Amino acid sequence: MEDMMKDQVDQLVDYIMKWCLWQFNSRAWDRKDQNEGILTKTTQILCDEPAENDTPADRCYWVEAVMLARDFKSTYPWLSEMDNNEIKLLMQGLKERIDYLTISGSLNKELTNPTY
Amino acid sequence: MPYHEFKCSECIPERKKHAVVKGEGEDLTSCLPLGYLNTIPGTISERGCAFCGAKHVIGTPMKDVIHLCHGPVGCTYDTWQTKRYISDNDNYQFKYTFATDMKEKDIVFGAEKLLKQNIIDAFKAFPEIKRMSVYQTCASALIGDDIDAIAKEVMGEMPDVDIFVCNSPGFAGPSQSGGHHLINIAWVNQKVGTFEPKITSDYVINYVGEYNIQGDQEVMVDYFRRMGIQVLSTFTGNGSYDDLRGMHRADLNVLECARSAEYICNELRVRYGTPRMDIDGFGFKPLSESLLKVGMFFGLEKEAQTIIDEEIARWKPEFDWYARRLKGVKVCLWPGGSKLWHWAHVIHDEMNVDVVSLYTKFGHQGDMEKGIARCAEGALAIDDPNELEGIEAMKELKPDIILTGVRPGEVAKKMRVQYLNAHAYHNGPYKGFEGWVRFARDIYNAVYSPIHQLSGLDISKDEIDTDNRFMTRQMISDVKIDTEAAEASDEREYTGDYDCVTKLRGKKYPKLEKEALSID
Repeated sequence: MEDMMKDQVDQLVDYIMKWCLWQFNSRAWDRKDQNEGILTKTTQILCDEPAENDTPADRCYWVEAVMLARDFKSTYPWLSEMDNNEIKLLMQGLKERIDYLTISGSLNKELTNPTY
Repeated sequence: MPYHEFKCSECIPERKKHAVVKGEGEDLTSCLPLGYLNTIPGTISERGCAFCGAKHVIGTPMKDVIHLCHGPVGCTYDTWQTKRYISDNDNYQFKYTFATDMKEKDIVFGAEKLLKQNIIDAFKAFPEIKRMSVYQTCASALIGDDIDAIAKEVMGEMPDVDIFVCNSPGFAGPSQSGGHHLINIAWVNQKVGTFEPKITSDYVINYVGEYNIQGDQEVMVDYFRRMGIQVLSTFTGNGSYDDLRGMHRADLNVLECARSAEYICNELRVRYGTPRMDIDGFGFKPLSESLLKVGMFFGLEKEAQTIIDEEIARWKPEFDWYARRLKGVKVCLWPGGSKLWHWAHVIHDEMNVDVVSLYTKFGHQGDMEKGIARCAEGALAIDDPNELEGIEAMKELKPDIILTGVRPGEVAKKMRVQYLNAHAYHNGPYKGFEGWVRFARDIYNAVYSPIHQLSGLDISKDEIDTDNRFMTRQMISDVKIDTEAAEASDEREYTGDYDCVTKLRGKKYPKLEKEALSID
């Protein structure tokens, strides 16, 4: 079961790494906000829960999340067989992995620059 | 760490950490070269300087501006015919280039008087142009000329003119990227918020990090306008000085080249709360999703989808003709910065070519993160390569084509490896749906050109078989394809016009006109 989830997380990570740009903003704090904002809303959309998009910043996250959720659903049919609890667990694993690859485990020495 | 050490650079051990091979199972926590560091003494870099990055990449694409270089005349070399950042005002910014032409005596006695006289003379010579950018160079920086003070003095004496000062001498960073950074920050500090633009739509964007290479900007702006979106400014290709002073009034910053222009987007986000949306203008899937994202932000998703459907129906069959014939072509993707990640995955996925190497001259580690994340396993990724490393890589990888700039391109040509200009293009624009077909066509023509096949012959002495020596492209490319399947499809060669940009100028946009009326 764990192996299966790891494999599924890896597939989603590969998709994001290949087709998205939002996870690669230039500073660690920025990446943290982007990952949190977009993946939280993607989870909500995948679970048919409301996702806020009232402020300009939220709307930007929401747009990326809608596209990602659509792409995930069309690329990985196994997602539609999951219930909301399973999706939330999967997306939590995805968030942790993306955070690791782009922030905590990143070799990019510019991430901690205090200014742009 | 899967570092790659070039034999030619064994004598420069620091270079080892600037190249990696993306092996099986590698990810960004184990596979990333160093980047954006000072070039190591002993290695001959292909980079430009920080002055060049500020003036020639970002400053000069602004179209209604006198661009004055305060330094020796040689610093202002890159102009008409060396760059292709065109504009819809008859390319004013490239046809005329200005320099104060500093000489030894100016270095000794100072050149502020010379600068002031040059500014006044330039405005007098072109009375219809009221905007100017003055660029510091190494020479004027080292002697400490106060360009800001002179600019203020002139603006005091000539109230109808406005002058922007860019203090980015050649030594102000490891590469041209240092200059990108400085001019971004200088513009937002000096000019944004000093002009109130006319808002003509409820949907307003700045299009940022787009330089109108052979018309890229005009193609993309056409899509946005067809959706009913006002493009308030473009930073900076085909961009207008005063429009760019009004950047603070946009609802959204749509960012194309994050390498050269993320700084201004980030600052606008912090200072004015305008969000930043990164997009990819190359490739059917990335471009479609980018237009959808921008549309969705404004509730214009249906409008975006209509454009996407029309454009794909028109251009996909022509793109497919080339993609079928490009399968397995080996590519070294060696651009300056952002194209390494704009193209790394999509030329493989859509054009069927194999990216065997990618490099960046001036990119940062963030660019390599994006490029390595997107490229296939086995690719050799190099930061700030020198010429010998490029030659060694070409000998080892045996690519069919290099997508790169003029300088390394000439080296490739001498090795009889085809090269396509990734910076200024060959027959662009390459952005947009039609542009993507033009790009595929240019790669096809480069790889399968009969002229290229013949170029290895010495006609003064080699025996040349006159019966079948001239290999037509059908003989070279079509032998590899399933001709029955190709004939059964609706695929066809490119049928667009040689100039696909000029006709966009002066085009009417009913959705925008309606918006403007209701707002007025």
